[in-house]
Amino acid sequence: MSVETISPAPIVRRRLLPRRLTLVVGAGILLVFLVLALTAPLVAPYDPIYQNAEVRLQPPSLAHLFGTDNFGRDILSRVIWGARIDLQIAVIGVLFPFLIGTTVGTVAGFFGGVVDAAFMRLVDIILAFPFLVLMLSIIAILGPGLGSFYIAMALVGWVSYARLIRAQMLVLKSSDYAVAAVSLGFSRTRIMFRHLLPNAIAGSIVFSMSDATLVLLSGAAVSYLGLGVQPPLAEWGVMVAEGQSFITTGWWIAVFPGLSIVTLAFGFSLLGDALGELLGVHE
Amino acid sequence: MSGTLLSVRDLTLTVQGEGGPRTLIDNVAFDLREGEILGLVGESGSGKSLLCRSLVRLLPSLLIRMESGAIHLQGRDLATISDAEMLKVRGGEIGMIFQNPTSHLDPVMRIGDQIAEGIRYHQRLGAGPARAAAVEILAQVGFPDPKRQYDSYPHEFSGGMRQRAMIGVALSCDPKILIADEPTTALDVTIQAQILTLLMDIRDKRGLSIILITHDLGIVAQTCDRIAVMRAGRLLEQGPKRQILSNPKDPYTINLISSHPSMPEGTAAAMFVPAEAPVAGLPRVKPLLEIDDLHVRFRTGGSLFKGGAKTISAVAGVSLQVMPGETVGIVGESGSGKSTLARAILGLNEISSGHVSFDGVDLAQQRGAGLAKLRREAAMVFQDPYNALNPRLTIGQTLAEVLKVQGKCPPSAIRARVEELLDLVGLEREFATRKPRSMSGGQCQRAGIARALAVDPKLIIADECVAALDVTIQAQIIALFRQLTETMNLTLLFIAHDLAIVRNLCERVIVMYRGEIVEQGRSEEIFARPQHAYTAALIAAIPDIDPDRPLLSRPAPRCDLLPMPVLPAETMP
Amino acid sequence: MHRYRFILTRPFQFLPVLFGISVITFILVRLIPGDPARNILGTRATPAALANIRAQYGLDQPVWLQYFYFLKNLANGEMGKSILYKIDVLQLIGTRIEPTIALVLTSVVLSILIAVPMAAIAARNAGRAPDHAVRIVSTFGIGLPPFWLGLMLIILFSVQLGVLPVSGYGSTFGDKLSHLVLPSLTVALSLSTVLTRSLRSAMIEQLKSDVATAARARGMPESIVFWRHVVPNSLVPTINLLAVNIGWLIGGTVVVETVFALPGMGQLLVRAIFSRDYMVVQGVAMTFACATVLVNFLADIVTVAVDPRVKL
Repeated sequence: MSVETISPAPIVRRRLLPRRLTLVVGAGILLVFLVLALTAPLVAPYDPIYQNAEVRLQPPSLAHLFGTDNFGRDILSRVIWGARIDLQIAVIGVLFPFLIGTTVGTVAGFFGGVVDAAFMRLVDIILAFPFLVLMLSIIAILGPGLGSFYIAMALVGWVSYARLIRAQMLVLKSSDYAVAAVSLGFSRTRIMFRHLLPNAIAGSIVFSMSDATLVLLSGAAVSYLGLGVQPPLAEWGVMVAEGQSFITTGWWIAVFPGLSIVTLAFGFSLLGDALGELLGVHE
Repeated sequence: MSGTLLSVRDLTLTVQGEGGPRTLIDNVAFDLREGEILGLVGESGSGKSLLCRSLVRLLPSLLIRMESGAIHLQGRDLATISDAEMLKVRGGEIGMIFQNPTSHLDPVMRIGDQIAEGIRYHQRLGAGPARAAAVEILAQVGFPDPKRQYDSYPHEFSGGMRQRAMIGVALSCDPKILIADEPTTALDVTIQAQILTLLMDIRDKRGLSIILITHDLGIVAQTCDRIAVMRAGRLLEQGPKRQILSNPKDPYTINLISSHPSMPEGTAAAMFVPAEAPVAGLPRVKPLLEIDDLHVRFRTGGSLFKGGAKTISAVAGVSLQVMPGETVGIVGESGSGKSTLARAILGLNEISSGHVSFDGVDLAQQRGAGLAKLRREAAMVFQDPYNALNPRLTIGQTLAEVLKVQGKCPPSAIRARVEELLDLVGLEREFATRKPRSMSGGQCQRAGIARALAVDPKLIIADECVAALDVTIQAQIIALFRQLTETMNLTLLFIAHDLAIVRNLCERVIVMYRGEIVEQGRSEEIFARPQHAYTAALIAAIPDIDPDRPLLSRPAPRCDLLPMPVLPAETMP
Repeated sequence: MHRYRFILTRPFQFLPVLFGISVITFILVRLIPGDPARNILGTRATPAALANIRAQYGLDQPVWLQYFYFLKNLANGEMGKSILYKIDVLQLIGTRIEPTIALVLTSVVLSILIAVPMAAIAARNAGRAPDHAVRIVSTFGIGLPPFWLGLMLIILFSVQLGVLPVSGYGSTFGDKLSHLVLPSLTVALSLSTVLTRSLRSAMIEQLKSDVATAARARGMPESIVFWRHVVPNSLVPTINLLAVNIGWLIGGTVVVETVFALPGMGQLLVRAIFSRDYMVVQGVAMTFACATVLVNFLADIVTVAVDPRVKL
């Protein structure tokens, strides 16, 4: 059918500027946090866990831009050091699920049959549990701590990637170029890794960005509940929890770490949006 | 002839692009008379759809502007009326039907309600009278049980019935003009004939005028009174049908007419019977491909819990022999099993029973050896040229990969061979570095053919490989195939739903219907004296470019031509 | 209506998932290092009680037999006893389920009330200022940690304005409702961002769709095109998204209940984890999982009701 379409190019073109802006702002936010995390010992004005009894519960001032907490610790320094842990949470918390999920999804989607059915039942069962409930249950068994969080994340988080990749593989497997590759006698490995996976993975890469937001929020939430990063280590979720008792007397203790989470998450979301448009992937 | 109904003058549309405005419709002027069917012909991108949508101000983007022009409809200029008035013109004065009824009908609204919606809004009727009027219209457009079918949803109907519903929606507000935008392109040829007949019928009964947008000159020749030819936003020429068809002035129109597959090509058919044509089966030559009582069945529907799985015979007992060097066409409508047959021959589908042997090796008995041989000596060309190429690889990489994996030539010679292949299919050598996305459909299809040739095949199976292309491009690809079969001793199995194309290319034709071969023989024979009722119906339904051979003039000898069993293309997910 | 026949057959298809849920919750508790009987009863259990629990769960038997006992106890409504509260887990859950259900329901309603107008405004002004505003706000909102957002709302409404209670759950209906406002607003603000984004892009796609073009071509004004064609067609993907997100939503309630000291299942779960009350962890996780399955079932029914093409 010679379908007469009027090119939608003009509409896209007008959005080019916001798109570039999205990319720049998103990448910029991530870059700032990355630099802060890497150079924390140099740029943080104070020791993040040093307790100075003389400056307890100080509101923001020139000496302490974000104020101090009930132990007299400098909030700004703790936020900067916290970037190290929270960035690490987002990266490691995404990396393992991504690797596991992509592998499982590729194999299940490509080979189909019993392997596929078995993996997909497992996915159904894991998805039946509310995400955080299953995470917390696993952490309950392993004991509180960041390590437990990563393990729980790897055990639970891979299912989204597996489902995404599998769905893509199923579509691509029946595409004409896959059929062409089979009819040309290419090996399964070649078809899977050279022809299908590179075309299937774009969606997962975009998703990993919004997943980073989710992982970051989960990590902070788990730590807020006291089951993740343990005090006195500076982590944003922990800091919010510490500030909760002082909402009437020291709002700044909880506000600034929370704002940092929002900003970093915003950066990941923007980058995900920009990548999605760049790679032509829609959620 | 009665007076002019619609008069378009100096219509110019531009789009605001990056480098300033770009002209999409360039100074177009035409008239539409009362009760007339005007055929607006052009290939994809010619602007024919845009032109018609601009008449009712339905522009696809906010960036498209009408620079100048007047659209006179019975004394009013549609270019200057307010948006509120335009709402009354749409549907009330000018109705539209579209190429793809499936996507244009609201899937979650009852079909009758979609017709009644316009009636209620335009004629301010209450729910009851609007329903009665809608039932009346459903009956007019050929719904056998309109009262009951009012409450059905679009997905419950076949493609042809959906297009009838779409026509009903357009007629609901009793327009004076009907714009039909490629109304039959997505339909099978026999259904197409029915819809075209319905349109002419409606014109005769209601006396409305129709603008019929199409890329198929055959349809125009059969249905229209006048023709306007568009290309790149310009109206190249217009005039009475017979004048344009018999005496075209513009070079593009001449090319368009000569590209039409129903044009008899005189010598062409005779030219390509191979010198030692073994059609009768000389004892010395063994067939390259032998198919014996082949069955392919699929399980559909049902589930582990519900049961009720149905088995569908896509190919039901096909036997066929193809000699080396032969060019065989396989024809049938969607769901006839022709593509399944092609894939079964190449070992891409499981065979339920029967035999396929390629060059003496039986695929059922020696699957390993048979497949290995097929992979190295047979290749396929696909329908959708974009979907058939890996979007991430350049054409050069795609071709080189085949050569490397199959070890057809030493690594040092790959580059030269890639260029040779590009030469063969008429692509510039610089295409080696391009990706499919930056190429046109025709160029991609050439690349797809180059990939098939890289195998150095004895057999090429081309599955609907020109169906997605414009007519002039179609003609080029057919010419390429003709040249390749002549020069390279290729055996070609050419699958198409378009009998006319097959007639020009193939010396032998096989007609499939519901998974079975209903007729086969030499092309001229079949076209001159079809034996089977289905073949006759199929031939009769082709819109011929010659207006003196009218559509369905001889009432097709209708056997019990039920719709196809299960149409994969039609089933909704 | 044969299209709704799946309501009778579907529950059987849930059996494998329910089986899987029981296996996972069973495994969870068996994975805890140490003496299982002591884990179940806590450190100060008497030898007699330990022996009793070993018999009840067949803890000296092979694992598959233990699983059988676990199922048998489950069938009898036995989920074990809470160490902390000294009552049956099932009974305990019964006393805690109401605030959670109330929170989930009010949050869903609230988030739809927020998302539909926001998405409609954005979609009908696509590419212009209101759309950009909605897009930025919803992108920003996705990154809002519920526990922090809750705190901010407390600071604003309870501490500064003093109009709403800080935490807890009342006893009268009006009291309960006022205690639910901030928690459900917290959850709804987070959830509505996801819904808004999905609805917005679905609506924009539908506004450009052939269905909309056809409706305009028959002279329908933009408001009819939008509310009668665009909105119904945009709902289908969003219902599915809501169902998928319900798990995420329930996870969110765990945190929010803790922030607002709302005595629901989420708060119960967190307390149980801290006090190593494993039977409660197991029971709550299982209840949550079954609730999710149920919600997905309801979403299927709604989808079938909205979209005549869907057959289940």
